[in-house]
Amino acid sequence: MRRTPIVIVGTVAGLIGVLSFHTTPAHLTLGVLPATSVPRSSPTTSIAGGSPPGPGSRGTNPPPTSTSSTTSKSAPATTPTPTTTRTPATTPATAPATAPATAPATTVPIAPRSANGQAVNYNYGVLSVAVSVSGGRITKVGIASLNDGGNARSQSIDQQSIPMLEQQALQAQSANIQGVSGASYTSAGFIQSLQSALSQLGFS
Amino acid sequence: MTSDVWGAGEAAEPRQAIHYLEHVMGTVVTIDVYTDAGTAGVETHQNLARARGVLQRADAVFSTWKVDSPMSRLRRGEITCEEAPPEVAEVLEQCEIAREISCGWFDPWAMPGGVDPTGYVKGWAAQRALSEFTSTEIRGAIVNAAGDIASVGGPGLAKPFRIGIVDPSSPGQLACVVELPGAIATSGTYERGRHLIDPHSGLPTARVASASVSGADLGLADALATAVAVAGEDALALVDGLDGYEALTIAFDGTWQWTANFPFASTSS
Repeated sequence: MRRTPIVIVGTVAGLIGVLSFHTTPAHLTLGVLPATSVPRSSPTTSIAGGSPPGPGSRGTNPPPTSTSSTTSKSAPATTPTPTTTRTPATTPATAPATAPATAPATTVPIAPRSANGQAVNYNYGVLSVAVSVSGGRITKVGIASLNDGGNARSQSIDQQSIPMLEQQALQAQSANIQGVSGASYTSAGFIQSLQSALSQLGFS
Repeated sequence: MTSDVWGAGEAAEPRQAIHYLEHVMGTVVTIDVYTDAGTAGVETHQNLARARGVLQRADAVFSTWKVDSPMSRLRRGEITCEEAPPEVAEVLEQCEIAREISCGWFDPWAMPGGVDPTGYVKGWAAQRALSEFTSTEIRGAIVNAAGDIASVGGPGLAKPFRIGIVDPSSPGQLACVVELPGAIATSGTYERGRHLIDPHSGLPTARVASASVSGADLGLADALATAVAVAGEDALALVDGLDGYEALTIAFDGTWQWTANFPFASTSS
């Protein structure tokens, strides 16, 4: 079937955070996240890019000063409050500076290598995840094989999986939050196969 | 403020003692526990075991794609509600309350294929799992059921949990950060694995890109987030009238609307 491999670069810390839960607190994985690997444009910027104020906008007050029962804002620059909580000065500078001091000695291989995970059942078929690592860092995650028996729902497997990986990356890139709330539905099968691929590569 | 980084803080600050992932309910539930010592004692580990049991049991009872689950059998009419495990009646009763509160915008009885409380169960189960963390050494605990979050306490002394809300137009980015304790659930259609159904028409519908609802109980917050995502900004008034619950919507054009006390994080981190 035609399928573009999912390629995710820069979600390393999140993935390792997922996969090392038995031994390593999430914060210890921050050391392997390159500060520049995840796009760090501020939410404000990304919203302003393609979002004119909605016709339904009723105001531009920042939320904490709002007194009306419901408030609205037009997304662009008029709304400092909800989007200035992660300033570039704080997060990227903090994470790399802090994590190496607490990170455990890593035993993962240095040479670039790839592995396919075991084929596992997920909600709509059987899949196998491919992963590449280099220098103790995950450089690629993709679908090695997918047999969905013609189930159209499997078309959304990547949409089911990527947001989870991205969420984990978000958590890792911002040491200052303890969780991410989003409309995600992730595949346990994806993670199971990914784990087996990673264990073949020396991640445990 | 670098002391906010986990593990880098002063000795007096509670630290993360448990980071656990449970593969359950077709998704991944993460459990994080914070204690003063940064370690988890016997009692806390027992709490974790019970919390995992709660999640696994909820999956076993309510899964709609496990054909032998009590919920699947109930949907096929093979058993009655009375014959099902007691949690089924409890959940359906709570769903009915949520349906009333949401003016029918959340309605498990209007789903294709028969009554489907899935939109409530994930949050309900996470909230119940959280309630198992009773050990006195625990300063904060957080159960994140794939983006629907129940929490108690915080990661530091008098410090709330900070939760990022995904930007629906760019799911790799955060739209904003909120401060709990309590629960927050987000619904939307940017994740295509999950469809929202308008109970009034029976058709897949979402009038905003993302709806987040915070409050004391994750089950209700989850149901209301679904309702607001389907109904759109007008349903903010429903949440606004509910003591302790707040909501934020992000429209497809990027417009935000929120109830007066939505717990946006303060600007300082």
